This record gives sequence, structure tokens and C-alpha cells, in this order.
Amino acid sequence: MADMTMRSAAPLTWTTRLRCLFNNDTARGYAFITPWLVGFLLFGLTPMLLTFYNSFTDSTLFKTGEWIGFKNYERLFTKDPTFQIVLNNMALYVAVSIPLVIGLSLFFALLLREQFVGNRVFRTIIYVPSLLVGAASAVLFRQLFSGGQLGLINQLLGLVGIAPLNWLNDSDRLWLAMAALIATNVWFLGGTTIIFLAGLHAIPQDYYEAARIDGAGSWKLFTRITLPLLSPTLVFNTIMVIIGQLQAFDMPLIFARGMANGFSSGGSPLGYKNSLAMFLTYIYERAFVKSEMGYASAVAVLVFLLTLALALFVLFTARRFTYFGDQERATR
Amino acid sequence: MAQMSARMSPVSAPSLRGWRIPRLKGRRLTAYIILFAFSFLLILPFAWLISASLKSEADYFAVPTTWIPNPIMWQNYADVLNEYNMLTYIGNSLWLAVYSVVVNVFVSSLVAYGFARFRFRGRNILFVVLLATMMLPTQVTAISLYRTFRNLGWIGSFLPILVPRLFGSAFDIFLFRQYFLGLPREIDEAAKLDGCGAWRIYWNIILPQSAPILVVVSITTFLYSWRDLWNPLIYLSSEGTRTVPLGLLLFFVPGRGTLFPLLMAAAVIALIPPVVLYVVGQRYFDRGIVVAEVR
Repeated sequence: MADMTMRSAAPLTWTTRLRCLFNNDTARGYAFITPWLVGFLLFGLTPMLLTFYNSFTDSTLFKTGEWIGFKNYERLFTKDPTFQIVLNNMALYVAVSIPLVIGLSLFFALLLREQFVGNRVFRTIIYVPSLLVGAASAVLFRQLFSGGQLGLINQLLGLVGIAPLNWLNDSDRLWLAMAALIATNVWFLGGTTIIFLAGLHAIPQDYYEAARIDGAGSWKLFTRITLPLLSPTLVFNTIMVIIGQLQAFDMPLIFARGMANGFSSGGSPLGYKNSLAMFLTYIYERAFVKSEMGYASAVAVLVFLLTLALALFVLFTARRFTYFGDQERATR
Repeated sequence: MAQMSARMSPVSAPSLRGWRIPRLKGRRLTAYIILFAFSFLLILPFAWLISASLKSEADYFAVPTTWIPNPIMWQNYADVLNEYNMLTYIGNSLWLAVYSVVVNVFVSSLVAYGFARFRFRGRNILFVVLLATMMLPTQVTAISLYRTFRNLGWIGSFLPILVPRLFGSAFDIFLFRQYFLGLPREIDEAAKLDGCGAWRIYWNIILPQSAPILVVVSITTFLYSWRDLWNPLIYLSSEGTRTVPLGLLLFFVPGRGTLFPLLMAAAVIALIPPVVLYVVGQRYFDRGIVVAEVR
């Protein structure tokens, strides 16, 4: 590009040289992306490297500590029963939530693909709650999962003869807290459903007609046409849901707050007997409540590596799918 | 825009499915029943929330749950706004959200324009880096940034939230870039021949063609900021700087403890902006661009 501009025969004056330096795609491109680049260096790369470094120190929230090698990681995996609970909770949470969210979203997307009266209304009802995710919904669901007769969920279960459950503080069945947290996902799967719906509508109708003429039944249509053609969307949704689940924070934190007597202070952010401990609430607790920055950094590094592994998977598959609701290529 | 809706309307596209209807009579009925049941389940908690927010303390603890509050306590909303500083929290949340929208839409679209319209060395690698940062959990950088901001004396002020926003968001840059790539280059090229500079092409040609994506990014940025709990939680400690989600987390009416109907009223107030934004932006959300939600 630059040599094109400098092709003139006349000797170059310094102004021309300057213009050559700034008047090309490289300079302009970099000028436009500078804000992001600066932000990335200051608020992305640098703190990330610092977190990596800190994970090998005994830093606190207020001062940089000594280099202690792999001690934090050793402690995480061998001497920290709480982290074992975090891992168990996360495994349970992710393993149940993913099939639940993906399965239900796909199911409702398939139903909503058909044209029928009221389709729009149902779509809205399924989609809007997903915009309401956050602290307010968490406060609401914490009340719904109240123990005894008070909680609405228990009242509903009572209709089918199930005795009231002590969802958030049952010392014998600590997993109930995770079950409550998993169940709330049902209300917020609208975004995933709509992406599935867009993916379904991108499948050409002719394929179905041709297959039907060849005598394929509806199960065959689903397994041989819908699923393969939807697989890019399926992969994308699954990974986004996994990443979202790994980063659960508001809901478990607010559920845990409810366990304290009153909401002003006290109570562990990890819930009753750590039953609500998740990756991010544990990082929060270690770093900001216990001031163990170095140790929290080690947890953060693990979460990061886990997420990165999934992110790379996205990038590898990204070339095959586009998820703008149409089939436009991502790269050009 | 017309071109946008043509590309982005698979969800509401008419389809040739008349041939299936006779066979589907029974199945259609089942589908309706399932959808009705599920919709009922989805709406139930929010109906309960509105009802609870209008109850008296005694009514709230009634078992089984009463659905029509008696008496209806409109007073709860007035109380939560006055006694509990909700007005201050709403003010803080609102201006943070509006600031985020303005700054983020401008910066992210600018950066996206750089990625979409110029060929430069390192572009593809930088773009991959950008995509990678989308997957970076905030918390990984936050625990180090906290100390940096502390050294700068910014803790307790809004600066740790305001300053990082100045540099755009990876996800929105990505969305803008995808959209810009779909815009015809011919107009840019013509403008360039007429002596139009890069900045004016961005401002006078690209942006005016980008209404749908501008709306979608504005709405998602607003929602992201409005419901952000993490940043206010670690950076904003004093009563006067609290935001709505932080207020909900630490809810406590001075001298009266936790009044559940008031807490529910606060939650209803917190949910109003997302619903309003949905109604306003429905046209755009309905076109499958909702994908922006995946942030």
C-alpha cells in the first residue's frame, strides 16, 4: 500500500513522507483499533499476567507477598476441603444444567418452529424472563425456595404430595441447595431457545419435503436432517451455556446471603455449610472476604484455563458455524 | 435496514408447511398443552413477585400463599423509594448504564470499523486475541485490578467501573464487525473517491446504515450494566454509591430490619427497565439478532 503512494518520481519532501506514514490502511486501521488495544493491554493482559504471578505468591488484598512456588496449587488440590466442595458443586451444577438447559431449549425451539396461532406470544413469554436474570430475580427465587410451608415451590410440591423441603439449609441433604440453583435455570433459557429457533429456520424446507417424498418419518427427519444441520448451533449454544454456568455468581451469592440472619452482614457467601460454593463465589470469598489474594488468584487461574479450553474449542468450530441467525460467513 | 431485516428474519419467515397440518392435528393439541403449561410455570414466579410486593407484612407470611393482596399496599413502593434510599440506587444505576451505553456503543463501533474496513498487518491475530478475551472471566483480571485501583486511590469511587468502559467491549466489537462486513463496500469506495476521509465514512456512511445493531448493542450494554453485581460489590462500598443490584443484595431498612414486601417491591423496580427495553427493542430482538444476548 505504502509503495503505491510513494511511486511519484519527484524527490520526497518530509511532508510527503509523513503523509505516506499516516495515509495508509495500516496506520488508519491501527488508529481505529487503538482504544481497544490500549484497553486490552491495561485492563486485560496486564492484570491477567499479574493474576498468574500472584497465584505463585502469598499476596493479600493489600500487599504483594513472597514467591511460594506451587504451594497455592498444592493446597488447592490436597489441603482444602472447601475447594473439594466447590469442585463437587460445580461438577453437579454443570453436569445437570447443561442437558437441562440445552434439552429444554431445543425442545421448545422445535415446538415454536411450527406456524400456529399464538406462536409469537409463547415466544415472548419464553424469551422475556431471560432478560430478567440478575440480582432481582435471585432475590425472588430465594424467597420461592424458602423452607417450610412458606416457599411457593414447597407449596406447589405439596400439591403432588411432596413434604416441604429445606432447600437452602438442610444439613443432611446439602445437594438440595444445588438442586434449587439448577432449577432456576429453567426460567432463563429463553436466549438459548431463540438462538436454536434461528438455527432451525436457517435449515432449508426443501430438505424436509424431499425426505418426506422418499418416505422418511418425523423421527428420521429429526435425526437425519434437523440434528446434523443444527449441530453448529448446538455446539455454539452448549459452549456458551457451559461458560455461563462456570461463571455463575449473582444467584449463588444472593441465595447464600439469605442464609445469614438478616441481610446486612454476616453469613458466608458460600451458603450453609458451603452448599452454594461456586468457582466465582469462592474466588470472591477468598480474595475479598479472607483477603487471600494469592490463593484466590490460583483459583482464578484454574477457572481461566478451564474456560480457555472451551473457548479454543469455540474458535476451532467457529469457521463452520455462523450464529447471526443467517448463514453469513464470519470471515471474509 | 430493509436489507438487514431481509437477512435477519428467519424467525418470522413464512414457510410452506400447509402440507403438514392435517397430519398434525393431534400433535398440535399436545404442543399447545405443553406450551401453555410451560408458560404458566414461567410466569408464576413473576406474578408472585408482583403480588408479594403489594402485600402487608402479615399477608406476606400467610400460608398458603394468597394471590390477591388484602389490603393492597401501594405504600410499599413509596416506602422503598423513601426509607430505603432506592432512589439514590436507581440514580446511580441509571447514570452508570447510560454512560456505558454512550461510551461503549461509540468506542466499540469505532474499533469494529477498524477491523472491518482496513487491511493491516497483524489484524487477524489481533482479532483472534479479541475473540479470546471474550471468554476471559471478569474475575480473573478483577482480583489484580482491585489492587491497582486501590493504589490509585479509586476504591469507593465510580472510576474503577467508568474507566475500563472507555476501551470498548470485545463482544460488542465482534458484533459490530460482523454487521459492518455485511454492509456493501461500494458506497464507502464511492465516498473515498469523492475525497471522504475514513472518519467521515464511519460517521456519515457506516453508522447511519447500522441502526439495528446500534439498537441491539445499546440495549444489551444497558442491561449488562444495569444488572452488574460484581463490580459494584467490590468497588463501591458506601451507601451513597450503591447501585440497585448491590442494594438488593444488602437489603436492610434502617431500624426495621428486612421487610420482605418492601424487598419484593425493590425487585419489581429493578426488573422494570429490562421489560421496558424489551418492548422498545422488540422489533430488533424478534429478528434473531437476540444472539447478542449470549454475552
